[in-house]
Amino acid sequence: MNRKSLDNPSDNSLSRVDGAVKVTGTATYSAEYVVPELAHAVLVTSTIAKGSITAIESQEAEAAPGVLAVISHLNAIEVPGWPARKQPAERAPVGTAFRVFYDPLIYFDGQPVAMVVAGTREQAVHAASLVRVTYRKEIHQTHFEKNTSKAGIPLNVQRAKNSPFQDYARGDAAALTNAEVRIEAEYTIPTQHHQPLEPHAIIAVWEADDKLTVYDKNQGVKSAQGQLAQAFKLPREKVQVVATYIGGAFGSGIRVWPHTMAAVMAAKQVKRPVKLVLGREQMFTSVGYRPYTVQKLTLGASKTGQLAGIMHEGTGQTSAYEEHLERTVLASRALYASAYAATRYRLLPLDVNTPTWMRGPGDATGMFALESAMDELAFALKMDPLEFRLKNYAESDPERNLPWSAKSLRECYELGAEKFGWKNRMQEPRSVKRGGMLLGSGMASSLYGFHRHPSKARALMQADGSVIVQSATMDIGPGTGTAMTRIAAKVLGVNAKKIRFELGHSALPDAPGQNGSSTIPSVGSAVHVVCEALKSKLVTLAGEMSERFRSGGQPVVRNGQVFSSGEDKEGINYSDILKYHQLKELEVTEESKSGAERDQYSMYSFGCHFVEVEVDPLTGEVRVTRVVTCADVGTIINYKTARSQSIGGVVGGIGMALMEHSAMDHRFGRYVTNDFASYHIPVHADVPPIEVYYIDKPDVHVNPIGSKGLGEIAIVGVAGAIANAVFHATGKRVRELPITPDKLI
Amino acid sequence: MEPDRDAIPPDAENEDRRFFLKQSMFIAGLSMAPADFLQAALAPDDGPVGNAVKVKLSLTVNGKRKRITIDPRMTLLDLLRENLGLTGTKKGCDFGQCGACTVHVDGRRTLSCLTFAVMQHGAKITTIEGLSDGEKLHPLQEAFIKHDGFQCGYCTPGQIMSGVACIREGCAGSAGEVREYMSGNLCRCGAYPNIVDAILEVKKEGLKV
Amino acid sequence: MKPFQYLRPKTVQEAVTMATDNPEAQYIAGGTNLVDLMKRGIASPSKLIDINHLPLKKIEHRYDRLRIGALVLNSDLAQHKAVLTRQPLLAQALLAGASGQLRNMATVGGNLLQRTRCSYFYDLALPCNKRKPGAGCGAEEGINRTHAIFFAGNGFGGIEKSSCIAVHPSDMCVALTALETTVVINGPDGERRVMMKDFHRLSTQQPELDTNLGPGELVTAIEVVDNAFAKHSHYLKVRDRASYAFALVSVAAALQMDGGRIWDARMALGGVAHKPWRYWSIDLMLRGQVPSEKLFREVAEHEMEGAKATAQNAFKIKLASNAMVAALKTAAGIS
Repeated sequence: MNRKSLDNPSDNSLSRVDGAVKVTGTATYSAEYVVPELAHAVLVTSTIAKGSITAIESQEAEAAPGVLAVISHLNAIEVPGWPARKQPAERAPVGTAFRVFYDPLIYFDGQPVAMVVAGTREQAVHAASLVRVTYRKEIHQTHFEKNTSKAGIPLNVQRAKNSPFQDYARGDAAALTNAEVRIEAEYTIPTQHHQPLEPHAIIAVWEADDKLTVYDKNQGVKSAQGQLAQAFKLPREKVQVVATYIGGAFGSGIRVWPHTMAAVMAAKQVKRPVKLVLGREQMFTSVGYRPYTVQKLTLGASKTGQLAGIMHEGTGQTSAYEEHLERTVLASRALYASAYAATRYRLLPLDVNTPTWMRGPGDATGMFALESAMDELAFALKMDPLEFRLKNYAESDPERNLPWSAKSLRECYELGAEKFGWKNRMQEPRSVKRGGMLLGSGMASSLYGFHRHPSKARALMQADGSVIVQSATMDIGPGTGTAMTRIAAKVLGVNAKKIRFELGHSALPDAPGQNGSSTIPSVGSAVHVVCEALKSKLVTLAGEMSERFRSGGQPVVRNGQVFSSGEDKEGINYSDILKYHQLKELEVTEESKSGAERDQYSMYSFGCHFVEVEVDPLTGEVRVTRVVTCADVGTIINYKTARSQSIGGVVGGIGMALMEHSAMDHRFGRYVTNDFASYHIPVHADVPPIEVYYIDKPDVHVNPIGSKGLGEIAIVGVAGAIANAVFHATGKRVRELPITPDKLI
Repeated sequence: MEPDRDAIPPDAENEDRRFFLKQSMFIAGLSMAPADFLQAALAPDDGPVGNAVKVKLSLTVNGKRKRITIDPRMTLLDLLRENLGLTGTKKGCDFGQCGACTVHVDGRRTLSCLTFAVMQHGAKITTIEGLSDGEKLHPLQEAFIKHDGFQCGYCTPGQIMSGVACIREGCAGSAGEVREYMSGNLCRCGAYPNIVDAILEVKKEGLKV
Repeated sequence: MKPFQYLRPKTVQEAVTMATDNPEAQYIAGGTNLVDLMKRGIASPSKLIDINHLPLKKIEHRYDRLRIGALVLNSDLAQHKAVLTRQPLLAQALLAGASGQLRNMATVGGNLLQRTRCSYFYDLALPCNKRKPGAGCGAEEGINRTHAIFFAGNGFGGIEKSSCIAVHPSDMCVALTALETTVVINGPDGERRVMMKDFHRLSTQQPELDTNLGPGELVTAIEVVDNAFAKHSHYLKVRDRASYAFALVSVAAALQMDGGRIWDARMALGGVAHKPWRYWSIDLMLRGQVPSEKLFREVAEHEMEGAKATAQNAFKIKLASNAMVAALKTAAGIS
């Protein structure tokens, strides 16, 4: 077995390059920049879900001590990039991002309606409580089940014939209809929220009338820069976005949200830098969420366990003003070798804020349903769930009829099953007890599409032989800087301590935002390529320094030196190369992107999870007691941080499966779970030891580093594996998440 | 320890006098006769002094005595982050539901978001910035790096402050015990198993925490 | 948050005088609930009387009882030797509540005065009779999965209009109720003592009031009389996650056993009513009996007879019943 697949390898993983600043509290997050003359802003949000504002009484707030301004649609500055306001106000066409303080219309509960800016936070908070907003209410629709008849094909999809979200079918539907064994079931996941520990925050600074700097929590400084530049009609370089440290995001920072715009507008209006930190309750209505989704799965197989057909229908919630699409049903086309497969995807617009991508978007949702259904069918077939999956293993992509760029899912299954001890599992549900608890085990597969975007990186070799590598990529937690340092150190043959990786600033070379597990595949490739280019330059420059390089050998680099060949005993230090050529530094910038391989191969990450649960037969409490997770994501760049990411995905999956549920009182269209006491995420006591394994074989077709992303696949499938384990423990199939005690007693 | 005179702005003494005057007038206007409080007003070390707009207090933060004038509504957390520049203590929820703001008050782990700074007059506060011994990291900080007990790093100072207290309290005897006694510190990245490993290792090695 | 004057009395008398003279004043001790309520604009005292410096921090055993000062911290109480040996049920309940940090801040008096965690109470934009009497109860026809199933005594009435279906959130109080604790109160008229069962209120009238504490009154201590339950008591808390969550249902069960039979029994439930719910007939039902799951099931089902579910919490009736069986079994030491 590969050394790195061991749980505690003595490999040469790097500890996080930003470890010291994070454990000493000296890493600076968005709200923590010291800016002179800083004013503090607090949002006032709508308490109705649909209608319009009829009046805003702000006199009392304006008169309160320290208040600089009360901003609303009545007095907000014009945003040059937005169309002129209409009188009377009209609801924007579907597809229009919500514009803050633009008009009196209310689209969702929790919508910002005013903002108080004051000298101190205490003053702003108090004054915000004094703002009185009155509304003309309209009847709102927020209840999913009561509005399902309004679900339809998204307009975006209707317009785009090649959209992957078009209805899909392959093979003969009769295969499913006439299957020897069939199951049909409906699965529901409630709205769930990202809730990173750091609330979204921004400090907006207008350095000049046409020069903006924002310290903003987001997952893409370049896209934020572009969007802000567009909104304020400024050249890109006049807008700088800084997000060096991000206290988690999981998708909540992919877009530029209304509160960011509000702070930038306010800073312009009060002519002072403005800091806005969202309250935890505002985090439920300001930065998206995993949408409420109902799925219907119909699966059929022969008595011997050969899949005959898969029909996967899914309907997700979206807002009344934007269509949020996600991959909910798409995995069902590609994961298993089923001759017949069909998918349908619909959206249901409601009077809520727009959902957004949340870790494993669509796939985490869809694979909960598919992998639960696979378990149900295996049970109906009296087959071992793993054996059933192996029997229907797709050797090539059945959707695109292309070979996989690489797929080691079979090895994942084998390794995971061995480590978990799957073969000792009793097949009969509710048949095993331990210390009075019902014991169950379940498994699920995982897959996630490969995403790679054009990325640039710059490498700057310093006179002392150290290297600064730069790219406008992000680190919301996975350890981007650490992984990039590892890549650069390896290519350049230097100690990792000689590398400094810089990210999170829009002035750095172009890179995509951190989403869709694309950072390592995209930026990792760019770092690899730029370091290779720097290496070539160094080799060339070294060649000019010594006769030995003319002997025709293949030059190599190691220990910060260039050698004329592998046999050469005497190398030239990088610092000496720069010194010899009288260079203060040596700079290279390179871009890396996909090529024709995208059309030749189907590219995915794969994995599987094995979960053991204990269920209290009297109280219905479920505790996950053991998890083995295994992934095939190509080359593992840095085992230590990768392992943490996998563990984190499992923890997210435990939350999704067992506790996370944003409950709304539909009479008001308002969430009643609006803090960490009512919206439960896992705590220490919920999380057992988690064993992590990787196949760690390069996928040679995807990119120069052979590495695919890990962030999403870590969570995709976990909720299904837990639900399957709960079924095995109790004999009860819970198809509506979260699996709370009330559903089991 | 000597008061840190540098922490007092040049006009602080004058400001003091104005405050005392206001305070005395304010109290005279009340129907009650809070004799002790009046005395407190005259002896600043005996209690915070001020009115509903501003209050002057002193407390020790990471070994340094601070005398400061603040809005009584300011929480200890906001005092640390906004006034003292100690942003290592994090605001995660501001309602005592996440543990990111954990600091030690007189040696006990405490949620700094759920206590007004004025209530901590006279108290000794230790934050993450005061945990290490100069450049030398605290053993639990080292262990967090070794075991990768964090990802985004935002809950980390709270986890570490809580973890140190957990060991000192004698509640780090087993993985199960650590999990239970650390459950007031939420981590959305899911670094829990690594955090537990870090705490157990420091406990096992018997290092002074 | 409204500006407030901060006051720091040194004696109980001084504190009570400050509070009595200022109707808008509130006492603050640990602050773990009040600061939260003030931030959300639910409590807005103009004067905050910090009682942390009053001499109410002692735990003493005198004569036949444990007297615990109102300012004793939950964490100190949970690990105090006298509590661990004489009243382990109380220690268990304390440790089932909140987190290490909160227990280091929260006091005994403050825990008694915790307000409900009902989401409607905490959101100014939603109706709540407790926050604003007459505004209506948002939970009654809303999201009420965690709400009450007992209202006005066992089987003596359902939900009354303009009332409140919120539950009391404390774990400590459930144990104290089972243990028949006395609350010592000081106020403008001097000291008085109230039994736990009479300290908290039901919500049929004046849902804005959680307790029978009068204006200016201050809890100074609690007293737990010695008993013979130490060997056979158990606090069981059922919740949506493994720790750091309020109870869906909790059970404090205390048995006195000898020779394989039960000779005395007490039980109280949390998470089911506006106050900790005391089961009065358990002693009669269990006295002289040999413990068995069947017996406990009968007891639990008898207890649940008065329960009434709202739209989303019918499960609590079965859950509470099961939890009682589980807690009694553990207390009795049978598997």
